[in-house]
Amino acid sequence: MKPQAQPRQLGFGQVALELDRSVAAPADQLRDLVRLSDPALSELEFTRLLDELLIRVRDLLGVDTAAILLLDEARQELVARAAKGIEEEVEQGVRIPIGRGFAGRIAKERVGIFIADVDHADILNPILRQKGIQSLLGVPLIVEGELIGVLHVGSLSPRVFDLRDLAVLDLAAARAAPAIERARLLDAVEREHRNAVMLQRSLLPPRFGPVQGVTVAARYLPARDEVGGDWYDMIQLSHGRVGVVIGDVAGHGLGAAALMGQLRTALRAYALDGHRPGHTLRLVDYFATSLDEEVMASAALAVVDPDKGTATFASAGHLPPILVSADGKARAIEVPLAPPLGAFGFKDCPEHELPLGPGEMMLLYTDGLIERRGVSIWSSIETLVASISGAQGPEDACLMVMDRLVPQRGPADDVAVIAVQNDPVPAVLELEMAAYPKALAPLRQALRQWLQNQAVEREAQIEITIAVSEACANTIEHAYGPARGSFTVHAEQRDGRVEVKVHDQGRWQPPRDQHRGRGLKIIETAMDEVDIHADSTGTTVTMRRELKG
Amino acid sequence: MPLASLNVHRQGDIVYAEVHGDIDMSNAADLRQELSRMTPNDALGLVVDLRDVTYLDSAGIRLLYHLREDLRTGRQKLRLVIADGSAVTHTLVLAGLDWGAEIVNTVDAAREGMDR
Repeated sequence: MKPQAQPRQLGFGQVALELDRSVAAPADQLRDLVRLSDPALSELEFTRLLDELLIRVRDLLGVDTAAILLLDEARQELVARAAKGIEEEVEQGVRIPIGRGFAGRIAKERVGIFIADVDHADILNPILRQKGIQSLLGVPLIVEGELIGVLHVGSLSPRVFDLRDLAVLDLAAARAAPAIERARLLDAVEREHRNAVMLQRSLLPPRFGPVQGVTVAARYLPARDEVGGDWYDMIQLSHGRVGVVIGDVAGHGLGAAALMGQLRTALRAYALDGHRPGHTLRLVDYFATSLDEEVMASAALAVVDPDKGTATFASAGHLPPILVSADGKARAIEVPLAPPLGAFGFKDCPEHELPLGPGEMMLLYTDGLIERRGVSIWSSIETLVASISGAQGPEDACLMVMDRLVPQRGPADDVAVIAVQNDPVPAVLELEMAAYPKALAPLRQALRQWLQNQAVEREAQIEITIAVSEACANTIEHAYGPARGSFTVHAEQRDGRVEVKVHDQGRWQPPRDQHRGRGLKIIETAMDEVDIHADSTGTTVTMRRELKG
Repeated sequence: MPLASLNVHRQGDIVYAEVHGDIDMSNAADLRQELSRMTPNDALGLVVDLRDVTYLDSAGIRLLYHLREDLRTGRQKLRLVIADGSAVTHTLVLAGLDWGAEIVNTVDAAREGMDR
């Protein structure tokens, strides 16, 4: 069949070529074209895909240059994205307005354009002339009726591109365009994913510094495809209390991650301001409804008081916490909740004081950890409870649930987990303190907690604490000079009595006056036996108190 | 976090001071100074409310003795308000401190005793 075309003069030396579909590309070139839809291409990342396409097109047509410009829709410009033989186009970030110049006309008219003599044509891009290109042929890249860019080839020697060449280039464009579009979308998604992961990482500390009285561990895992709005947080509050937070903003991607950042900050600020957990969530809910964007999120907050052995818990539409006893028995705690954050505003958020004694642990998590298609939420929680049983501590608990519940290829939804444990109180208390007055308060706190855990009755707790604090005060006052030393406290319960030893490396000083002697009198009255042993290595005060039986 | 906090107000001739928190050797001297300073010479006396004191040691008892001496030089009276069975009571008992009528368990009782 004879090639037919209806050349149309565009002026300025440009000829628009409307391809008659009956014109076929030569068989050998057609065979080569198959390589353009090679499945291997779809595996390439965006930039490499474009490069590979251009190399193949250049070889196919025997041209010197090839370039792809993509549409910047917002600015209605073509941007050079890949080039062979005229790499400067990309390096210099050439932009061509739609409707102007060679590529601009192709984009506007959506037709192939052939330029026989570049010197006498309307060419906007000076690089084409500078490179000494004589003839050009270009076609639009179209996907499902939408223009996405322009593909053009050039020759350094004058060349008349015929309809066969056009047919080849047109076919190449038709084959390449969908792949380009797919790769570009993936690239955009990939970039957003990277940004969101970065944002998430910057907001979620991978580990926490040591906190007196509790141990905390946490994990975050983005979903297989994208990050979401899950978060955890740990907040140090007054009186040795620690706030532990879990939250989940509905949705995915950068938007959800950014919203998560706002809610996390608001919650942290209200908690630090001293509000109780329920009130904190109420304020965050109010904050959420004040935002322009629509917010749908759940969150839970537990304020752990290691001394009292409690966790004050409040939840706005979040999943039930799991409590793990000191001997590793886990159970889900179902308590009344407030509605999710940002849903319709709530007046009150119920608060619950849950027991969290020494060695006991609480686990908070998001639905990504447990949700499985076709499995009821309660059955999923039972699986979680089973998977955490026997956990030794927060780190162990996180390890166990991530290992047992998260699929090998990554979770379908993002996952956040945080576990907090009220530190187990050892059978024997060993403390080393700097010998200065401010050491006395934390010493008493540690001793009280230990005595409480040893089930020593209140009267004896108070009196033993006074006696030990007095002995330590004496050490601090007398045992050292200006150079501050340290002292140790060793306490244990044995045979129905508590024995406490206070040891320092200084010399025992007998009380000097009536007032200062009062400390020793207190010790002697509070304890059943007091023994002071001093030698060249230092002084040890040993105190014993019988416990009622 | 300070170990203890102090609220002082004056009503008529009497200065009332409420102490919250722990009193030990780290803050007793400062507390004594502050309480003396807050009791001007024209006041009849000082009522120290120790019901919210969670811990008191021998340094605290020393503070109370010194405070009483400070006030006596100005012919002013001191009353301590202490809750029965509290940590403070324990220390007073252990230290054998018995001030009789100077120790009461309500602020009203402290005020009434001041006039005598």
